[in-house]
Amino acid sequence: MDNFGFLFAANAFVWGGIIYYVYTLKQRNRELEKDLALLKEAIGKESR
Amino acid sequence: MMDQEINEDSGGESSILVWLTGITFFAAMAAIFLFVPTEKTEGPIQRIMYFHIPSAWLSFFAFFIVFVSSILFLWKKEREWDIYANASAEIGVIFCSLVLITGPIWAKPIWGTWWVWDARLTSTLILWLIYVAYLMLRAQTDAGSMRARYAAVLGIVGFLNIPFIHFSVLWWRTFHPQPKVISSEGFGKGMDPSMLATLGVSLGAFTLLYFLLMGQRIRQEKLKDEIDRLKREKLFSS
Repeated sequence: MDNFGFLFAANAFVWGGIIYYVYTLKQRNRELEKDLALLKEAIGKESR
Repeated sequence: MMDQEINEDSGGESSILVWLTGITFFAAMAAIFLFVPTEKTEGPIQRIMYFHIPSAWLSFFAFFIVFVSSILFLWKKEREWDIYANASAEIGVIFCSLVLITGPIWAKPIWGTWWVWDARLTSTLILWLIYVAYLMLRAQTDAGSMRARYAAVLGIVGFLNIPFIHFSVLWWRTFHPQPKVISSEGFGKGMDPSMLATLGVSLGAFTLLYFLLMGQRIRQEKLKDEIDRLKREKLFSS
């Protein structure tokens, strides 16, 4: 009873899930940082 | 000022945590695939346990943080606690999903079926649905103290399911295996010491990962708050 395929599938789901979640977190952070920088730039221009 | 604080949060401490988590995961993988002996009756498929149990532990721990943060939010009315609850709920749902995926993958060759509606499996699915509802509530309603309050109540009520999940295998006859780490025989008595050690390393790796992910999610929520604050300032000044 080897069932290596099932073990591989479980392993792939866990690692795939973690890596995908970390990637989406990084993407969301990057977008928010970009939005913040643009907003600060716009406020800076208005105040000048 | 706030932005400076947000950037400081992601400094040196975070990179130490990244390295520590990476090293612990590497040790866990080496232990799971090279060190720990193969279980006699189930064969290699039993190694799924070293992902499945830590994922369950992490999701329960994450929901416990939601529970505590929600109580503190309702008590102190401080936005900080709402941020912790929101961040932890998302991580809890991700890892509860992994529990619900890896469990059936183990069950198919062992039980001959992907899923049975026994107390442990059904109550875990209910837990997952409650916290998915929690995230949907947060996503579908407007930001503000009412959203935070409703979410806090749901976060507290949802956690009450966890003791039920833990004791379900003892209270009813279930397909799910009985607890082996914390059992009536004592701590870790039902397991081979090398299996217990491997599980311990894996639990450590997943716990470190939780703190790493929490750091990122908290930073994200603070960035959102800062953007909202600046938008409001811009609106009032124009």
